[in-house]
This record gives sequence, structure tokens and C-alpha cells, in this order.
Amino acid sequence: MKFSYTHHMPYTHVEEAGQDWPVANKQFDPERGAELYREYIDNKVYAEEVGFDWIGCNEHHMSPYGLMPNPNLIAAAVIERTRTAGILQSGNIVPLTNPIRIAEEYAMLDVQSGGRLIAGFMRGIPHEYVAYNVAPDESYARMREACELILKCWTEPEPFGWEGEHYRFRAVSIWPRPVQQPHPPLVMSGTSRESATLAAELGATMGVLRLTSFDGARAMMDVYREVAKSDGWEPGPDHFMVGMGCCIADTKDEAVETMKSGQKYFFEVLGGGIRTAQRLVIQKTRYFEHEESRQNFPGLPSKVKQVPIEERIEKGLLLCGTPDMVIDQLRRVKAELGHGRMNLNIKIGNTPDGAVMTTLRHLKETVFPAVRDL
Amino acid sequence: MKFNYFHLMPWTDIEETDQDWPVANKRFVPDRATALYETYIDTMVYAEECGFDWIGCNEHHFSPYGLMSNCNLIGTVLIQRTRRARIAMFGNLVPLLNPIRVAEEYAMLDVMSGGRLIAGFMRGIPHEYVAYNIAPSESWERLEEASELILKAWTEPEPFGWEGKHYKYRAVSIWPRPIQQPHPPILMSASSPESARFAARHRAKMGMVMLTDLEAAKNCIRIYRETAREHGWEPGVDDILVGAHTCVAEDDEAARRHLGGGLDYFYHVLFGGPRTAQRLVIQKTRFYRDEANRKTLGARLAALRRTTIEERIDKGMVLCGTPDRVIEQVRHLHAELGHGVMNINMKIGNISDAAVRRSMKLWGEHVAPAVRDL
Amino acid sequence: MSFQENTVALSSGPLAYHVAGDGPPVIHMHAASGFRATAALEALAQSFRIYAPVTPGFDGTATHDGVASMEALARLEAEFADTVIGETADVIGHSFGGWRATWYTVLHPQKVGQLVLECPAGFREEGVGGLSPDPEELQRRLYAHPEKLPPETKPESMVTRNREMLAHYHGGKAKDDALVDRLNEIEALTLILHGTKDGAIPISSPRLLKRLIPRAFLIYVYDAAHAIEVDQPEYFTGLVGDFLTRGEAFLVNPGTDDRAA
Repeated sequence: MKFSYTHHMPYTHVEEAGQDWPVANKQFDPERGAELYREYIDNKVYAEEVGFDWIGCNEHHMSPYGLMPNPNLIAAAVIERTRTAGILQSGNIVPLTNPIRIAEEYAMLDVQSGGRLIAGFMRGIPHEYVAYNVAPDESYARMREACELILKCWTEPEPFGWEGEHYRFRAVSIWPRPVQQPHPPLVMSGTSRESATLAAELGATMGVLRLTSFDGARAMMDVYREVAKSDGWEPGPDHFMVGMGCCIADTKDEAVETMKSGQKYFFEVLGGGIRTAQRLVIQKTRYFEHEESRQNFPGLPSKVKQVPIEERIEKGLLLCGTPDMVIDQLRRVKAELGHGRMNLNIKIGNTPDGAVMTTLRHLKETVFPAVRDL
Repeated sequence: MKFNYFHLMPWTDIEETDQDWPVANKRFVPDRATALYETYIDTMVYAEECGFDWIGCNEHHFSPYGLMSNCNLIGTVLIQRTRRARIAMFGNLVPLLNPIRVAEEYAMLDVMSGGRLIAGFMRGIPHEYVAYNIAPSESWERLEEASELILKAWTEPEPFGWEGKHYKYRAVSIWPRPIQQPHPPILMSASSPESARFAARHRAKMGMVMLTDLEAAKNCIRIYRETAREHGWEPGVDDILVGAHTCVAEDDEAARRHLGGGLDYFYHVLFGGPRTAQRLVIQKTRFYRDEANRKTLGARLAALRRTTIEERIDKGMVLCGTPDRVIEQVRHLHAELGHGVMNINMKIGNISDAAVRRSMKLWGEHVAPAVRDL
Repeated sequence: MSFQENTVALSSGPLAYHVAGDGPPVIHMHAASGFRATAALEALAQSFRIYAPVTPGFDGTATHDGVASMEALARLEAEFADTVIGETADVIGHSFGGWRATWYTVLHPQKVGQLVLECPAGFREEGVGGLSPDPEELQRRLYAHPEKLPPETKPESMVTRNREMLAHYHGGKAKDDALVDRLNEIEALTLILHGTKDGAIPISSPRLLKRLIPRAFLIYVYDAAHAIEVDQPEYFTGLVGDFLTRGEAFLVNPGTDDRAA
């Protein structure tokens, strides 16, 4: 099993973020922000020593949810201070940004890192479309066109032009171009039928970035496998990455308590304004092409009532407890899904950085050695 | 006097280019570029040690001219490895980008650096408009609107929307917001009377990154000061940045040889493709609103290419020679122009990185101490 | 859609009003220059039925006895709405009209759907902005694009008289503290518009409103001064129409989806 470390870089000095969108940034204290950036980047760099294969960054806008409006800036800093870890960009949000710019920035990161980039092509979560004033119902069309265009930028031997529905360029030849050939490996989200299909079409590693049920994840993995099969190839375990929250402590109670309070903050404070924007997008636009995907979206108002942590641990949807328990939980999820990659989210809400370090220490000393060969 | 160390990060592994735009990136060798980025970044970090007050980055596209398609990525790397120097962005090319994104990325840099950002709001050189397929005729009005919008995004206490000609947002509140209050200092290009007026109207620092003509420079500074006064403010000496290609060596002859070779490469190889795009833009669009400006620029660039190194030194357009000679030249320039910031560009064309470092060391040990109090 | 002029008899006297268009009802409260059928309003009347009552004393009409305060005007406008419209209506108020619209919403919340405040007066610090007595300076404060201004149709005496009427209603004060204290009572979804070149209303005004009205959006209209309808009619019609049609979902770019409408 291979592991990726995801860290949203949340701003955790907000007591009460309210439910408005966007979240007013008068609550952001830049001095404290400076400290957080230092600590968070140190923490991401340390993940390499812990034994993570990939270190992840992601893109979010206009809320304390995450302080990486352009995650490539953070990646450049992490690359400078690491030597071997893959750099997983599970943003950029492709439909919101000039695809040429994404191709260029990813190429810079790939060259700077000597070929360590794993390029995420993400559609983003609904509220980001409100932030950048892009029509959510264009998101799939933009996504498909932009992905193709970025791949062209990376692989076309001669200058080329592009005449598309959403993007038009007369002559493109990006400098630098990526080290990895034919292009950096891709990661895409596979939380809906539409996205799993696109991920398979492009041969991207499919991320189930928010595991809500084994059946749901399996269904999406099956969609991916079917599309791959009809395209004439067979995905391996490494083509699937499952994201889970993770908290490890010396006792089970301590781990559960830590995760509970982190989740509570995540849900009540960090998630407040975002849910408002999300609701507008999901109710008022065709963000999801299939009604089924809309119904299954975990952010729907009818679904936002939190499932208790104990129940989620019970169901195997969270990694939480002592090192031995987490080893068992990892074995279980592996047995259920057969995937080759895990994406661990440890800084959940305002989980104290000391507790994050405790989890990292347990992963390094006990858990990773035991599950590497899974 | 303060000093900015300016670096373009050129690709210097090609012997010649055809004059096509864009320059085909098949000539770019990614494997070699990883080491090149490392060298360039180390060099820029070294500038702090050599007594430079600012370190400057630039945005360029689709050619070997410069490898920073998003210079903010290099900015975060420099922030990780420096403590004191200001990070001066001579990109971002505001009319080509989403202004909200620029506001967000600059805010990240400002917070991460603890308030060391100098934020360039640049219009860019003509060929970049061809790269991103933006009408050059719109460049001024986009720059104007985007600049206002970015300042709003930095200073507005409550979420706000923007209904403009080129940009429309319904609700903006960026996270993070900058640490410098009321906002980071702004730098704008002022190499023409038109741009000098624009910079003064926006209370920005004025930059003439590369001197081409002493009289023209004087005129721009005069216009900048006058316009500022009309708008109710008085620029300080720190608001005026003047730049020259610079080479310091143990003897005049070596300095001349390095700089002469580098300039030759710069004009003939690196600027080959961009010149083609530039000609198209200048002849076929209203990139310059001012007809006289358009004509003189073309003529000036052509003349510049033919000017010998000796003529450049005599005219005070470059800083070149032993430390003593360069001290004299800086004093002369300062006496003529009265500026407070010198922009020092030492990696000219393909001058070797060893010669560049030597030049930096001599600058730091001899030149800077002698002219700092000017 | 061009406006028709009518008169309705109310308890304190006859009230002139202009009306145009078809669709959900909207009350438009005019600025200190009296009612103007701008192209922007006529375009909005393609989708809404717009009622524009003329404040007594403006545009050559007579004042009403006992109606000599902003609160009294709000009561008069409520009687107008009950008599002429008879249902909940959205309200747009420009400048002096924005001041009235705010009182109207505070005093008669059940009559108001959504509220649009177009550079409202009544919320600025003393000595900042306002209307200048110097005609050239006044022009600069009101219009970023005076070339878009249609020829004046009102006699100069009427324009002067209109401005003089302001004191009759609010005593010439810059800031209405009693109203500021009640902004937090407004439940209507509110859109605040402010021109980036507005010389009559300082930026502190829209910021104050945004901070104190619980469910408000603030939009800066670029390259417009105080008369947004004149300076940027397309922006005005598009924004206001979208806001009145889609409510809070106007935050979301509609694309081509009919579900958004």
C-alpha cells in the first residue's frame, strides 16, 4: 500500500465563521496566518521523513477551509525542501483556470522537482464556482476540453493552436515543458459516475477522496474499470486511491475524542459558508449531469446531518484508534476495495498540531512498516 | 540607495533560434532544466547574502527568454530560503490573468513572507498577449480595471461584488488577505510617458527595468513626479526604480567581454521569437495608444540591438567594469536621475553562471557599500 | 417599455406616479432630481411592472400636509402600495430614494420582497460627498460618462425646486442615525450598488450598510459614478434583473441552465 499525505491548511483561529458565503476575511489575522503557513509547510515537508510516498496540496477559495488558493505556490516551497516524495496536486481546479496556465505551472513544478509531480485535474467542489463566477453547469464541458488542451500542451512536439468551445489559442508552445514523459501521471476525482468515467478515459489514478460507503466506492471503481476495459486496458491497484480521515493515539478514547472535536470544528466552523454556496449550486444549476449523482452528493442539505464518528469507525470509513486498530482498519478497507493507494487526511478541522504529530509518529514507527506490503 | 537583484531565468542551451513565434519547445531539454532551476534559485538566494535588498522575479511565456510562467511559484521558493530580502514581483501580467487570482496569490506571498512582497501590476511586453490570446488593444483598460479590483480585494472589510467591463464577480472575500497594511506596495512599469502617468495615478512605485536612453528616462521620471503631484501625493526616492544590465569583474576587459557576449545572445537568440510576436502586436494593434510612442519604441529597439557595448557604457546604459568603474557609473546615473532603487540584472543572455556569481560577489563586497548611502 | 403617468388620491392628497412594464411588481423610488425614465429602467420594465411614485413637492407636484419627514414619506408610500399595487413588491431606491426605500423596508417589512439600494443617501459622514452647489463639480460627482446623459427635459426651475425639497423631508442631514440604528431589523434580501467613481456618496456608506444589514450583497459597479443607471445601464439592468429574479442564487453564474432562472 502506498500513502499520500493531504493537508488542507485550514485557518483555525476562527471561532464562529457563520453561514454566509463568502466568509468575511476580516476574521483572518495575517500575523497568525504567517505562523500557520510556516508550521504547515514544515509539517508537509516532514511527511517525507514519515514515509509518505506523496505529499498533497489542494485548491480552495474565499473561506478558512484551506489557505491555498493556488496550491502550486505551496508545492514549489515543498519541492524545494524535499528530495524524493511525489508532489500530489489534488487541485488545480481545471474548469476555473486558464488551462495553458495550469500546463505551464505544472510543467514548472515537474521540472523543478526533477519529475516528482502527480498532476491533479480536479473539477472542484461546487462553491468554488461561486467564488470565481464560472457557471457550474459548464463544469463538465470545461473540464473535458481543458484536460485535452493541457495534455496537448505537454505532448505536442510543434507549436499548435486550439479552437474550442471554451478555450481558444492561436499558437501555443509552453516553456518549460515537463520532465516526465509522455507527461506527468494524472489524478482525478472519482466521486461521481461522470468523473469516474473521465478519469478512466484519461488513464488517471482515480481518487475516492471522501469515502462515504464501501458500496458507493466500489460502484465508482467498477465504472472506472468498465470504461478502461472498453478502452482496452486493465487498471492495477495503484490506479485507485482512497481518501480517509486518520487519527492515531495511545488509546482508542483519546483518538476518538481528538477526531470528534476536529470534525465538529470542520463541520460547524470551516464548513459553514461553503455549505451555503454549495446548496445554491446544487439546487439551482446542473452541476451534476446525472440526477443520481446529485442525489448522492454528500453535501446536500438533507444529507449534511453528521453520522456519528463511532458509527463511521464501525463501518470502516475512518482510520481512528490505537496503532494496532488502525492497522486492522487499513487491512479491512484494503480487503473491501483492493486499491493500492491511500490518501490520509490528518489535520481535520482544528485538530491540534501536537495530535497531528502523534498520528504521524505512530504511522512512521508502527503502522507503515506493518501495512507497506498490503 | 537600495538594490534589486533581477533574474529572468533564461534557457541558454540553444545556439540560435529561428524567428518564429512561439519558439518551439522541442528545443527545451527538461532533464537539464532541473539543474538549471536549482542553479538559478541558488543564485537568487545568494543575492541576499550579497547585500541586495530586493530579489526580483518575472513572468514570461512561450520562449527561452524566461522560465517563470508563473513567477509566484519561484517567489514562494525564495521566501523559504531568505529572511530579509523583499520579494519583488516584476510579473504578474495583470491584464492576462484573473485579477482575483492575482490578489489571492500575492496575498499568499505576502503572508508567507511576513510582509516582504512588492507587488508588480505589470502590463507585460507585447508578445505575451499573443501567448494568452488577449487583445493587446484592451491591455490598458484591463490593467486599469484589474488594478482597482485587486486593491478592493485586498482592502475591502466586507465581502463585495464587482460589475465591470472585463471582470464580474458577485461575492469576493479572499483568504488569506495580505499582511502589509493597507496593502503591499505596488510596482508598475514606467518606461514610457504613458505608463509613467499611469503608475503615478495609481500611487505605484515606478520601474524602468532596463535603461535605453538617459534623456527618455529623465522625462519619464519628470512626468511621474508631476502626475503624482497632480494626484495629491509626493513620490519618495524609494518609489523610483531604474535598472541596467550589469557586469562587474576584476578587469574592465573581462567585464566587457562577458557582457558583450551576453547581450549579443540576449538580442539575437533569446529575443528572436518574441520580437516576431512583438512586431505583430505593435504594428497591428493599439497596444500603444500613443502613435509617437509606437514609432519610437520600434526604432529604439532596433537601434538598441545595433549598439555596441562601448557605446552602451559611454551612454550610461549599462554598468560594466571593475568595481571602481561601476561605482562611478552608478554615481553618474544617480546624479542624473535621482532614483532610490537600482535594478541590477546580471544574468544577461548566456553569461556563465560562474561569471554572474563573481559579479554578484564583487558587487556585494565593493560596489554596494560604496553607493549604498547615495 | 415607456412609462405612463397617473395620479392616485391618497388620504393626504393626490400622488403622481409613473408606471411601465409587465411582470412582478417593483417600486422605484427616485433620486433628488425627481423621477427619470432612464433607458435602464425601461429595459428593466421588460420583465417587471415598475411603479415609480413621485414624492410630493417634486417634479412640480404639491406637498402633502403632514408629510414632512422620511418616516412620513414611508407611510405615504405604504398607502400608495396598498392602494395601487395591493401585494408585496420588490423595492429599488436611488440616492434620496434609497434613503426612503430603507425607511419603507424598516417600517413596512411585510410589504417588501427584495430591496435594491442604488448609492443610497442618508448614510454618509457630514462634510463628505453630497451634492455640490457648483454645477461643474456636481456633474463630476454624479456622472462618470456625462456624454451618455440624455438631454434635460425638465425646466431648470423644476430641477432646482426638486433639490430644495430635500430639506423639507430630512432637514439636509447627511446621516440618519435613527435609521442606522434600525438597519439590523431588515430581513429583506438586499442588494447594495455603489459606483467606483461616485462623488456624492463616500465608500463608507455602502460599507456601513453591508456591515449592518443582515442579508446584504454589496456590488461595486465599475466606471460608474452616482448615476449608475446613466453611466452603466447594461450593468444595472443585468444585475438588478438577475437579483430580483433569482434571489440569493444570483451569486451563482447561471450559464445556460433554465433551472437557475
